[in-house]
Amino acid sequence: MSETKQKVDMDPKYILKLTLTLLITCVLVAGILGWVNSITEGRIKEFNREKTNSALKAVAADPANSKFLPVKLTGKMQKAAEGYGATLDSVYAVKDGGEDAGYAVKILAGGSQGKIEMVVGVDGDGAVTGVSIVNSSETSGIGSKVMSNMPLPNGTKVLDQFAGKTADDQPLKVGGNVDAISGATVSTKGVTKGVNGALAAVGAIG
Amino acid sequence: MNIGRQFKEGLVTNNPVLVQLLGMCSTMAITTSFFNGLGMGLSVLIILTLSNIIISAIRKIVPDKIRIAMFIVVIACFVTCVDLSLQAFVPDLSKALGVFLPLIVVNCIILGRAEAFCYKNGVLASAFDGIFQGLGYTVVLLVMSVIREFLGSGAFGGGVFNGGKGFQIFPEQFGAKILTMPVGGFLCLACLIAAMQWALTKTKNKKEESKS
Repeated sequence: MSETKQKVDMDPKYILKLTLTLLITCVLVAGILGWVNSITEGRIKEFNREKTNSALKAVAADPANSKFLPVKLTGKMQKAAEGYGATLDSVYAVKDGGEDAGYAVKILAGGSQGKIEMVVGVDGDGAVTGVSIVNSSETSGIGSKVMSNMPLPNGTKVLDQFAGKTADDQPLKVGGNVDAISGATVSTKGVTKGVNGALAAVGAIG
Repeated sequence: MNIGRQFKEGLVTNNPVLVQLLGMCSTMAITTSFFNGLGMGLSVLIILTLSNIIISAIRKIVPDKIRIAMFIVVIACFVTCVDLSLQAFVPDLSKALGVFLPLIVVNCIILGRAEAFCYKNGVLASAFDGIFQGLGYTVVLLVMSVIREFLGSGAFGGGVFNGGKGFQIFPEQFGAKILTMPVGGFLCLACLIAAMQWALTKTKNKKEESKS
């Protein structure tokens, strides 16, 4: 009996049928997905742009009068950020009513569930003005506490504790000069990596 | 086809989570708030129903040898559609569900039902199976999130009721924090499964007694 089965397996027509069925299904599915993507792509991009914009504004000292001008990334800046395990996405020079007011750095760093996308503000003196999360997939109810800036036991909010830190405080370290939310150490470490990377990248500008 | 029996199977006697023990990972990970439980449950319900319909419709033309691959392609298609739509139209939910939404592709409930039910039954029966099994999953998620939210942080209905804030029934600092963590998910789910099995054996014994 197993012999007949073997014969069917080896039948080139049968193999061709399997391949064609799978191929046609995949092509159909790809078509459907392309169509859905074309509908949703614009809105998703719009949301992401809004999120980035509000994150940029959240770290600026004077959001109403601030303008954000993209800065060209150099290999040196990218290397500086990578030194702390973070990936530089983009850097904006913050202009407050025409005057230089430091930089806003969009940076990615690994959390517990993939990359955390955040914007770190650094003022003209090289001190962190704030951290704002753009996107993350941290575990809901655990890592998401860090993402939504919940308070630490001492009352300071977890993302706010980075404000005022400068390159002199580097390397920022969870358990050293950074406190983690209990149960969400990995997520806090991810944000710390991003802040370290942003400070280093700003230091490498010019 | 018996809709009443399918309904009872999906919600009680053959509940996907408590009896078939499928989809445990998402069940434990996502049930930290009412909003998450509801969102995940409904997403699975929609995907399960749609993929059940398609899989049952194509069951006769799919060669036996590659059926699992075909199932996965169909399921992945629906999951990606739902994922993209949520990202575009309900970004808050998409953010809350995070990685668990794309992971529905490999959620055993959907593949399990495709293999165990849709491959042998008609389109209509499969559609109802999807709805009822999805409801069974959703109900368990909601029960889990209500228990964990209430005991863990003293709240009810976070993200849905009371303008998204939920109701604070007792102050958060008195909550058993452990329940909001993954280990609490295991504890809670184990208790629910035990209760379910106890109830099922009890009714079964009763039936046998009345027969004899």
